[in-house]
Amino acid sequence: MTAMTTMSGMTPADGVDTRSHAWIHARIMLRRNLRHLQRYPSLTLMVMLMPLVFLLLFVYVFGGTLGSGLGSGTPVGVHGGRQAYAAYVAPAIIVMAVAAAAQGTAIAVAQDMTEGIIARFRTMAVVRSSVLTGHVVAAAIQTMVGVTVVTLAAIGVGFRPHANVAEWFAAIGVVLLLTFAITWLCVGLGLSAKSVETASNSPMFLMLLPFLSSGFVPTDSLPTGMRWFSEYEPFTPVNETLRGLLTGTEIGDNLVISLAWCIGVAVLSYAWSRRLYEREPKAG
Amino acid sequence: MSSHAFFADSATMTRRSLRQTVRYPVMMISSLVVPIILFLLFAGVFSGSMKASVAAFAPGTSYVDYIVPGIVLMTVGYGSSTTALRVNSDMTSGIMARLRTMRITRTAVLTGHVIGAVIRTLIAISLVLCVAALSGLHTRADALAWLGLLGVISLLTIAITWLSVAIGLAANKPEGTSGFTLLVQVLPFISSAFVPIGSLSGALRWFARNEPFTPIIDTIRGLLLGMPIGHSGWVAVAWCSAMALGGYFWSRALFNRGPSR
Repeated sequence: MTAMTTMSGMTPADGVDTRSHAWIHARIMLRRNLRHLQRYPSLTLMVMLMPLVFLLLFVYVFGGTLGSGLGSGTPVGVHGGRQAYAAYVAPAIIVMAVAAAAQGTAIAVAQDMTEGIIARFRTMAVVRSSVLTGHVVAAAIQTMVGVTVVTLAAIGVGFRPHANVAEWFAAIGVVLLLTFAITWLCVGLGLSAKSVETASNSPMFLMLLPFLSSGFVPTDSLPTGMRWFSEYEPFTPVNETLRGLLTGTEIGDNLVISLAWCIGVAVLSYAWSRRLYEREPKAG
Repeated sequence: MSSHAFFADSATMTRRSLRQTVRYPVMMISSLVVPIILFLLFAGVFSGSMKASVAAFAPGTSYVDYIVPGIVLMTVGYGSSTTALRVNSDMTSGIMARLRTMRITRTAVLTGHVIGAVIRTLIAISLVLCVAALSGLHTRADALAWLGLLGVISLLTIAITWLSVAIGLAANKPEGTSGFTLLVQVLPFISSAFVPIGSLSGALRWFARNEPFTPIIDTIRGLLLGMPIGHSGWVAVAWCSAMALGGYFWSRALFNRGPSR
């Protein structure tokens, strides 16, 4: 019945229930967003370039030094600095690829909001939430492509995952869940931004947080205050879970903590985005 | 035109450049943010893993000490993007065309930009050094070494600034300057700024050893930490002078073209 109120203003054909409308409209919006990605490949390229540059920089320039300083974090079965570091940093680069792609989503959503197309959609017989759903699903597809590229690149520079089929599926599941959480958060950031510039800057903290996690150096190498922060911030358990699934290190309770963080952020951001989106559009 | 007019006009244009900085401080602040974040990131997060190999390279040097010279150089690099953008906006917004019609020494506009940039950069570097000192930088520089540092950093700033003036003149729109800016921002990563060159392998090590920023960083490091500089000092001065002269003559040539393109 809430669906009916959002549909007021349109005359639904008899016998077509609103749920199938929502589904059809979401698919149309998904197609719209995918077409955007296809027509402006430079955005996707930019978004993928950042984690790739970090991968190459950290493996080839800093890898020798950071790898020999890994200490307790040295992956099992690998010796020598650079190779060990490639194995160590790969999960962090995957997480960064997710964050970088979500930044693109925040920009796309803010563009939609400031260009007036959303105002146009609001006047049409379009299920409201389908616009956001379309963004999120398109972003998830884009992110998975990005993650695949980054993972292959990591394998190219010496990352050797030894996960079995179940572990691969679990890893993909964790990445997908992380993607939904971060993407919904970025949709909220994109909706709340007054300009596209703000929307491209506000998700920057998502790029910075992985650096302060266990992704690049083990947390026990950090000074006390930083270590405390690093151990409790959400990217550390996600990183440790991915590292465990892909390279067989101890996961412990990191999986449960990651799931809790991801689901919590996803649900809260979803509710936040919905509320921002349902607001009346401001004049001008 | 007399040399007196040149100095008077340059002083006016320098004042104009400094006034721009005072009125739009956001540009200078934003060019400071990245070097400081990089410094805090490397000093705070990576130093635990880096310090062992740096201590092996230079005994008695903490990782904070080791990276400060690279951060100083990056501050110059990030500041130069401001100069390139300003010169470019002067060219594209028509103020340059206006100034050309007036009775002022032609190159004074550019000289003003360069002197303004040097003053701006030296202030920015002082701020960066303050942050570094608060984070535990241990300098072993005596008065003579500080004088040397001032000289090297000024020469470096003049060199990079003249290059960015040329880029700002050559670009048709502000985005056109981003390639150069990116180069200046990326090259320090592949140098001795964050890790000793000995830890790099193959082609990267060769590149890092021969790119201009490595000898400059090594010179600043030697002066700041009281380490032997070797022939890096002369190589650094040679690179800076070459960049400064190249940038200067290139800017002159671009500037003396007609305003319509």
